Amino acid sequence: MTTTEPLLVGAVAYTANVVPIWEGIRDYFQDSGAEMDFVLFSNYGRQVDALMAGTIDIAWNTNLAWARTVAQTGGACRALAMRDTDTVFRTMFVARSGAGWGGLEDLRGKRLALGSQDSAQAAILPVHFLASAGLDGDAVELERINSDVGKHGDTGRSELDALRAVLEERADAAAIGINTWEAIGRDELMPGAFEVFWESPTYSHCNFTALPELPVERVQPWVEHLLAMDWDNEAHRPILEMEGLRQWVLPQLDGYASLFEAIHEQKIPSHW
Amino acid sequence: MTNGWVLDLVERVGAAARGATVSVALGSADPGDPGRQAETVATWCRLTGNELVEVRDGVATVRRGRSPDPLAELDPGQLPGTRLWMYTNFDCNLACDYCCARSSPRAARRELGRDRVRQLAAEAVDAGVTELILTGGEPFLLPDIGELVAACTTLLPTTLLTNGMLFRGRRLDALRGMDRTRLAVQVSLDSATSEAHDRHRGRGSWDRAVVGIRTARAEGFRVKVAATLPPDQNHELGPFHDFLDTLGIARDDQVIRALAHQGFAEHGLELTVESLIPEVTVTADGVYWHPVSANDPDQLVTRELFPLGAAITEVRRRFAEQRARATAAAQWFPCA
Repeated sequence: MTTTEPLLVGAVAYTANVVPIWEGIRDYFQDSGAEMDFVLFSNYGRQVDALMAGTIDIAWNTNLAWARTVAQTGGACRALAMRDTDTVFRTMFVARSGAGWGGLEDLRGKRLALGSQDSAQAAILPVHFLASAGLDGDAVELERINSDVGKHGDTGRSELDALRAVLEERADAAAIGINTWEAIGRDELMPGAFEVFWESPTYSHCNFTALPELPVERVQPWVEHLLAMDWDNEAHRPILEMEGLRQWVLPQLDGYASLFEAIHEQKIPSHW
Repeated sequence: MTNGWVLDLVERVGAAARGATVSVALGSADPGDPGRQAETVATWCRLTGNELVEVRDGVATVRRGRSPDPLAELDPGQLPGTRLWMYTNFDCNLACDYCCARSSPRAARRELGRDRVRQLAAEAVDAGVTELILTGGEPFLLPDIGELVAACTTLLPTTLLTNGMLFRGRRLDALRGMDRTRLAVQVSLDSATSEAHDRHRGRGSWDRAVVGIRTARAEGFRVKVAATLPPDQNHELGPFHDFLDTLGIARDDQVIRALAHQGFAEHGLELTVESLIPEVTVTADGVYWHPVSANDPDQLVTRELFPLGAAITEVRRRFAEQRARATAAAQWFPCA
């Protein structure tokens, strides 16, 4: 690849709206001196494979995809940037309103609905948080809802199904990402439905991942132009709104520590 | 009530392409407060950056993302309320067989009158109107046409529509007294020769209209010519433009409009609230969507002429709402 060619960024097409998002980002980089194009994948496994094979220069990775790239590169890959919202991601443990639970210990002997098995926020990290609270093994009955596997929970569908399981009394509680909790209007729009009984510490979610082979002189202008996207600029804001952020920021790598622990504890395989 | 349908809303709208609409059944409403579901959907849309199209019969229709402001999409000159049309009167010395206003010598005058024209012009300035257009009927049948026009031209640039046939005696004096720097005179003329024009407007009317155009031009007025063209006359457009050139009418002032199926017209374009970009139009009976439909009860916006600003706001609101509905309908129209 010559330096005159645009950087090729990979993303996973988890909804039709991914197309206008990336077309908007591509257009933003036009004539910036750091032009880019994009390629969409059907799942994160394929995307990480393409990054490792050099088919794409940069991958827009979930936290699990980042962890796997770290594993496959022996820690040599680089995180370039993330959304401000990626630095403060959380998992919310919710039960029916009025349950009156005060923490994870109240889950002992109860049924917890989890989202897709490859969703860090709705499956992998919740199990880690339970383990950290001393709720290993059979202490909590896990109801796994594996929908849209491969997309690492991006569609949110499995988390909504987990909430439905609680409403329909097939589960006593559910673990969902903060984004899903906010999408349902927190506890304001569904009176008498849910209340949060435990909120996880913050952790990092998605990031742009590159291999060490990508020269710094190519990637640096791209990162600088990305960080220059401005919420107050009417031309930039629709893209930021669609992608769910107000500001691109430099990555916070210590926010992945809990996920690496979870992957180690749960022996998460390196490919899905 | 747990509003479990919120989960369906999140899932269905989340999976929809931006701009697409999704309909979600809300289940049975709380009989004590049927509006609460709609409020909840509206709140959810506000929180999540989506647009509520409607809640009807227990089904919410939501657009993914927000549709662009239909008013912002218009050419600035098309923004409803930029121009204000006033029907000064409905009686006319002609009885054109396609008149959208149903004007004729037998039509009731239904005049706006000096006081209302003066108040409308003043409120138009405050409402951001940049041009006034006086039409009828034939405005020169009004004995106080000079005062009506002056009430307008002192405040805003004005166009006066006329058949141009009455510029004699006191009416010519009235014309001569009008402000040439602020007034354009728009004369109706349908063809380059008398035949087609007279067939719809009456024998001898073409000759007199052409004389009227020459008179107004000679008096120093900017003259526009507006033609109403049935489809079978489309082939005459070229010669017609050439003829108007010989009268000294600037090409930009040669206005050709299609025959509308309104008023007396038995044929023509079907013009509805849905198909017309509104042009706020005031008659003695109320505020209408567009001057071509000032007798159409379906296009009556309000019977309250004042405050004018409120009427303009209402027209804009209805236009934005109607565009949103049309966009939604286009999105959900099934192929099979």
